[in-house]
Amino acid sequence: MAPQAPHDLLIEPTHDEFALQSYVSALRMFTLQEIGGGLRGVYESRVKPSFEQERGRAPTDEHEVRHAMMADPYCRTWSSMMRSAQEMIWDSIIPSIERAQPDLNSRAASLAQKPKGSMTLDPDVEVPRYVSASDIHLMPGNYYSERDAGDVSQGALYDRGVYVYAGGHGGPYGDSIGRSLAQHLKIRFPDFQPERVLDIGCTVGHNILPFVDVYPDAEVHAIDVSVPVLRYAHGRAESFGKPMHLHQMNGENMSFEDESFDLVMSVVTFHETSRTAMKNILAECRRVLKPGGLMIHMELPRTADMDPFDAFYIDWDSYYNNEPFYQAFTSTDLKAAYVDAGFKEENYMEVMTPDIYAVPEDTFEAAASGPENKAERYGRLGESIHWTGWGAWKEG
Amino acid sequence: MSDEIKITPVNRGKRPAFFDDPAIDQLMAIVMAMSAEMSVLYDRVDTIERLLDKKGTLSRDDIEAFRPDQGVEDERNGRRNDYISRLFRIIREERETLVAHDKMDEYNALMDELAKS
Ligand SMILES: C[S@@+](CC[C@H](N)C(=O)[O-])C[C@H]1O[C@@H](n2cnc3c(N)ncnc32)[C@H](O)[C@@H]1O
Repeated sequence: MAPQAPHDLLIEPTHDEFALQSYVSALRMFTLQEIGGGLRGVYESRVKPSFEQERGRAPTDEHEVRHAMMADPYCRTWSSMMRSAQEMIWDSIIPSIERAQPDLNSRAASLAQKPKGSMTLDPDVEVPRYVSASDIHLMPGNYYSERDAGDVSQGALYDRGVYVYAGGHGGPYGDSIGRSLAQHLKIRFPDFQPERVLDIGCTVGHNILPFVDVYPDAEVHAIDVSVPVLRYAHGRAESFGKPMHLHQMNGENMSFEDESFDLVMSVVTFHETSRTAMKNILAECRRVLKPGGLMIHMELPRTADMDPFDAFYIDWDSYYNNEPFYQAFTSTDLKAAYVDAGFKEENYMEVMTPDIYAVPEDTFEAAASGPENKAERYGRLGESIHWTGWGAWKEG
Repeated sequence: MSDEIKITPVNRGKRPAFFDDPAIDQLMAIVMAMSAEMSVLYDRVDTIERLLDKKGTLSRDDIEAFRPDQGVEDERNGRRNDYISRLFRIIREERETLVAHDKMDEYNALMDELAKS
């Protein structure tokens, strides 16, 4: 694994911790690509034929595919390995955090002493049930557990965890989606110069921080319901010397004024919220957007137009990786949801961008300025990584 | 120490059993964890060898302080991937025979014929 960009809250792993994290990362990638790469063949060569023989037709939806696939020994082995690999990621990091404490919490507190940005906590904000109901993606303690006043442990666990998960492919700052999006918007809409930007569900701020670089004149705000990750995000941003304003706030009910942001965005937040919450968040996004402003949500691909096997593959996490809302989200018609929230159909837009770290600059630019910005392919499915987003301009 | 922070390494939510006998899931988890321990050990041995090559002597502190540069890490990663590939050969093999399953049909047909004759 390549090194992660150092900052004052990043824990330096010991010799053996680093060796373990690197291995777990490689093991997960192997399971995903080498073993997972055989699933389609298993489906086509034996699971589908025996389903057809029994029922006289092919499976018609992802649920039928799932029931059939999960009875197949190869898919069971792959699933069992994926589940263990995910658990091992967190296990490979936890000891380093325990070792770094309580010093880590003190460091976070002192980084917050003379901030360029700010952090506003509101103890009245509760962690909603859709977040607290289970430890999402098997992360022990979830986003919000606090063991001490000023605890940032869960932020540290997430920061290192997603890095190991992605094997460092998200770049040294783990910001590939946000940086790709910011750069894409800048090229595609050169006249769009947001003065105020808002990120919903920022966690430790991985994907909002690049907006500080790409739009240096903008005031950047980010909200989350979970305090430990907010504290960590604050310290991390300050350590990088990047002004960012963090707020403990629920996207369903924000205390920002009407029409106060030019750009409202999120990165992979929606698939961890309930349908009702998503509806409420969309209404709030519209309320806080200035006329002519842009709302954009980077997310998982839609399964509606996928073949049932791909949909099964995408939604596996929903059933076996503690992502309870994944499947509900991937099957939601976002365009319809945006129209329901009051956006005009003609102002709907999509983003499909190659990963900024994976392609040469001219390829990235051509994709951003080209006409084919349709969110069709996606990292886990396509040969090359593409990030997808769904958005709408507010009329005015 | 009373101000120690402990993170319980379990997550809330029922763990699915993928095999009919949950002991197989447990065994899989144990094998995966064991494979990791072996890889860590190999990296440690590799560190020791590199330090000895360079200095002819070593201390525990030298080992702890050693960090692979990108070249060493790439080399180690190549070794890790070969190792994983050998370890999970039985599963890789299944994938490969699937790709060649037309050939397997031919082979099985041949075997059937031979059995009859
Ligand atoms: C997968 S993480 C998002 C990752 C992050 N955007 C990034 O790019 O790294 C989801 C986050 O959304 C937060 N969250 C969930 N529901 C929320 C809500 N209604 N309002 C604000 N934050 C929310 C969770 O606490 C969690 O930190």
